[in-house]
Amino acid sequence: MTSQQGRPGWRAALAAGALALSLGAAAQADSITVYTSYEEDELTAFLDRMRQDLPDLTVNVLRLSTGDLMARILAESGNPQHDVIWGWAVTSMIDPRISEMIEPYAPANIDRVPERFRDPEGRWFAVTGYMGAFCVNNEVLEARGLPMPTSWADLTDPAFAGEVVMPNPASSGTGYLQIASLLQMMGEEEGWEFLRALDANIAQYIKSGSRPCNVASQGEYAVGASFALRAIKNIDEGYPITMVIPAEGTGNELEANALMASSQNKEAAQRFLDWTLSDSAVDEYFKWKEIVTITGGAIPQSFLDAGLPEDIASVMWPMDFAWSAENRDRILAQWQEEFEDE
Amino acid sequence: MAVIAEDRAPRARLRANRHAPVLIGTLLVGVPLVVFVLWPLAAILLRSFATPEGLGLDNYLSVMGTPRFRRILWNSLDVTLVSTVIAVGAAYVFAYGVQRSLMPGKALYRFLVLVPLFAPSLVQAQGLVLLFGRNGLINRSFGTSIDIYGYWGIVLAMVLYVLPYAFLILSTALAVADQRLYESARMLGAGPWRIFRTITLPATRYGLAAAIFVCFTLVITDFGNPMVIGANYNVLATEIYNQVIGQANFERGTVIGMVLLVPAAIAAIWEKYLSRRQYALISDQSKPLEIRRHPVRDWAFSAFCGFVCLAILAVVAVVVYASFVHLWPYRMTFSLRHYRFDVQNGIQPLWNSIYISLMAAAVGVVVVTAASYVIEKLKSPATRWLYFLSILPAAVPGMVLGLGYVLAFNNPANPIYMIYGTLLIIALANVYYYHAQGFLIASTSLKQVSGSFDEASASLGGSRMQTLWKVTLPLIAPTLVGVAVFFFMRSMVTLSAVIFLITPQTQVAAVSVLLLEDRGATNQAAAFSVCIMATVLGVLLVVRGALWALGWKDVRLIR
Repeated sequence: MTSQQGRPGWRAALAAGALALSLGAAAQADSITVYTSYEEDELTAFLDRMRQDLPDLTVNVLRLSTGDLMARILAESGNPQHDVIWGWAVTSMIDPRISEMIEPYAPANIDRVPERFRDPEGRWFAVTGYMGAFCVNNEVLEARGLPMPTSWADLTDPAFAGEVVMPNPASSGTGYLQIASLLQMMGEEEGWEFLRALDANIAQYIKSGSRPCNVASQGEYAVGASFALRAIKNIDEGYPITMVIPAEGTGNELEANALMASSQNKEAAQRFLDWTLSDSAVDEYFKWKEIVTITGGAIPQSFLDAGLPEDIASVMWPMDFAWSAENRDRILAQWQEEFEDE
Repeated sequence: MAVIAEDRAPRARLRANRHAPVLIGTLLVGVPLVVFVLWPLAAILLRSFATPEGLGLDNYLSVMGTPRFRRILWNSLDVTLVSTVIAVGAAYVFAYGVQRSLMPGKALYRFLVLVPLFAPSLVQAQGLVLLFGRNGLINRSFGTSIDIYGYWGIVLAMVLYVLPYAFLILSTALAVADQRLYESARMLGAGPWRIFRTITLPATRYGLAAAIFVCFTLVITDFGNPMVIGANYNVLATEIYNQVIGQANFERGTVIGMVLLVPAAIAAIWEKYLSRRQYALISDQSKPLEIRRHPVRDWAFSAFCGFVCLAILAVVAVVVYASFVHLWPYRMTFSLRHYRFDVQNGIQPLWNSIYISLMAAAVGVVVVTAASYVIEKLKSPATRWLYFLSILPAAVPGMVLGLGYVLAFNNPANPIYMIYGTLLIIALANVYYYHAQGFLIASTSLKQVSGSFDEASASLGGSRMQTLWKVTLPLIAPTLVGVAVFFFMRSMVTLSAVIFLITPQTQVAAVSVLLLEDRGATNQAAAFSVCIMATVLGVLLVVRGALWALGWKDVRLIR
C-alpha cells in the first residue's frame, strides 16, 4: 500500500513519462492493492461487478499463481505492497510466515460463512474453493481401447501404463493436495502403498497443476489429474474430454481472503472485504466457482453438464488443511525419494 | 601511449592524466554494477545462510548432503554440456557462413536465426510439443511414435533457445579479419584447413570462449524448457523453482542459486588467461578481408544454414498456425477467436513492455559499452572485479535475481526505493539480467580494435576522450546498434526476473502470456505471443526506417 499512497510527484518524473499512467490513480484516497490467485477470466468478472457496487473504490489487482504469489508475498514481507489477499489457497494462508502478517477482521455478514471455512481467530475466511478432478481424453481412450476410469483405483489398472499424468507435488499446490487427500483418505501406510501402485502408470509428474489437464485435452495422454474447473473450462473450449471426479472422494483447496496488518488504508480494505461477502459477490462466485462455501446460489448448468454433481459435499473429501501444512516437508521428501525417476 | 606521453609531459600531469580517467571510469561503471548486481546477490547470499537459529551452513548441508542433489547436479551438467557443444558448434558454422562465405540467402538467414530472441520462451517449448509431442503434427501425420519428453527434448529446446546468442557473439568475432594475414598464408602455401586452424580459429578464441560461457549459463539457469518438455528429468533450475515457488523455501532455493554462480567464477578466471592471448584483429594497417567466390563452399554453407533456419522457423510457424485454428488439433478450421484477448488491462501490458524495452535498450547500450570500454582500455587492479561483475548476471537464474531485487530494494530507507514499483526498475532489472550477453557482444567487438589507434590518436595530441568519440565509437557503432536491439528484444519477452517486480500498474506482455497459459488458454497465449513478435518486428522496421532516413543505410540492426 505504501507504494500507492502519497507517492510524491517527483518520483514519477524520475521514472520517465511513461509512468504517469500508473500514478494517476494512486493519488486517490480510496485506493487499495489486492493480491489474488483467482484466474484471469473469473477475476475480470468479479472486478466488473465490484466496480459497479463500489464505484468510488479503486482496486489495483495483481494476479499470480498460488506459488508465485507466496514467493512474492514472502519476498516483500519486509515492506508489504498490498492491503488485501483475495482468493488464495488456505494451505498457504496458514503458513506461520503469512499468518503473522495478517490482521484479524470480521467483515459484515461473516456469519454467512460456515465456521469450518474460517479461521477461529478471524484471520481469514474462505468463500470459494476448487477440487481435484481427472481430465480424460475420449479420443485417446477410444484409440487405445481403454475403459473410462471412475476412481483413483481405476488408474492403477496396468492398461493405463504410460497414459496418466499428474502434477508434481513438490512444485504444484494442486499436486500436493491430491497426494495429501489420498494419504488422508487411506491412512499413511495404505496411502503410500497406493501411490506406489499409481506410480507404475504415471508417464510424467508435470510441474504445474493445470498442465496435466491441458496436455490430456490436447491428446498427449489419456488422463490428466488436475482440478475440476480446469476440466470444465476445457470442455467448454470444445476439447473432447470428460471430467471425472474420483469415486473415493476428491482432494480440495479453499480460497481465502484476509486483511494485511501493514495496510495503510484499512478502511478501504475492509470495505472491499465486506463486499466479498455481499449478495452481489456471491452471485458472481456461483457463476464461476465449483465450490462456494456460502449458500444462496445454484451451480451453473454448464458445470452440471460437464459432470459436476449437484451435491458437491458428497464428493469432497473433508480435508485437514492443518495436517497438510504441517506434514508437507516430510511427505514431499519421502515422495521425492520414492517417485522421482531420473 | 604511455611511452609517447612521458616524453612530452611533466610527470605529475602525466600521473593525473593517467589515473583520473581510470578512476572515474572505474567508478562510473563499478558503482551501478555493485548496486544492481552485487547488492541483490548479497541479499540472496545472506538469505542462503539464514536458519531459524541465526546464520549457519544448515541450508547448504541439507541441500547438498543428499544423493538426490548429486543426481540433479549431474543431470544439469550433462544436459548443459551437450546442449552447449551442439549449439556453439552449429552457431560457429552458421556465423562462418554468414561472415566468411558468399552463400546465397545470407541476409535472410541472418535474420531468421535470431527469431528465437524475440519469441517468448513459451513459444519454443509449445512449438516443439505441437510438432513432436505424442499427439503432435509429426506423429499424427506419419503414424510414428516419437516421444519428445525428457532428455533429448530438453537438449533440442535448449539448442534452439541459445543458438542466436552464440551466433551474435561468434558473428561479431568473425566479422573482422586482416586480409594481409590471409594473403601471406596463401602465398606461403597453406591450405584452407591450415589457414582456418592457425589464423581464423585463434583469432576468434575469445568470441568462442564467450559464446561457450553464455550458452552454458543460459542452459543451466533456464527452467522453462525443462518444465514443459523435460518430463521427469530434474535439473538444478527446476529444483530452484520447486523450492522457491513450489515450497516457498527461499533458503534452500538460494543455496542452489549460489551453486549456479560457480561457472561464472570459473569463466572470470579463465578470461584473463584467454585475453592475454587475444590480439587485435584490426590495426591501422589492416585491409578488410576479401571473400572470394567458391561455389561448393557457398552452397554447402547455404544448405546447412537453411536447415537450421528451417528448424527454427518450423517451431515458431506451428505456434503461429495453431493460434489461427479453431481448436488445435481437433478443429483445424481458420479462426480469429484466439485474438479476442479478454485479459485484464487488455493490451496495456504490451505498451508497458514497449516502454520498458525502449528504456532497457537505451540504458543497456550505454551501460555495457561503458563497461567494456573501461575493462578493455582503462586497466587497473579493479579490472578483474569489474569483469567478474559484468558477466556474473549470466549465471544468475532470473527468478533469483528478481527475488534479490525485492529483498534488496523493497525498503523505504533505500534510495533505489524511489523507483521501486515503476517501469524503470523493471527496465533496469532487464539491463542487468542481460548485462553479460550485451557486454560480451560489445567487448568482443572492442577487443578487435587495435591499441595502435589510441597511440596514433594520442601522438597527434588527441585526448583519450577524443579517441573514444572520434575513433573507437564509430568503429564499433554498428555493433552498438545491435546491442541496443538485443536489449530491446529480450526485454519484450523476458519473464522470470520481472515476475517479482510487476505491480498492478506495471503489467508486462510476457506476464499476460503466462496468465493465459495458466488458465489453459494455450492458443490464446500463442496468439498473444504472436502479437509480441509482430510488435518487435514492427519496431525493428521503424528503427530501420529511422536509420535509413538518417543516412545510415548499411547498418545491420541485428548483428
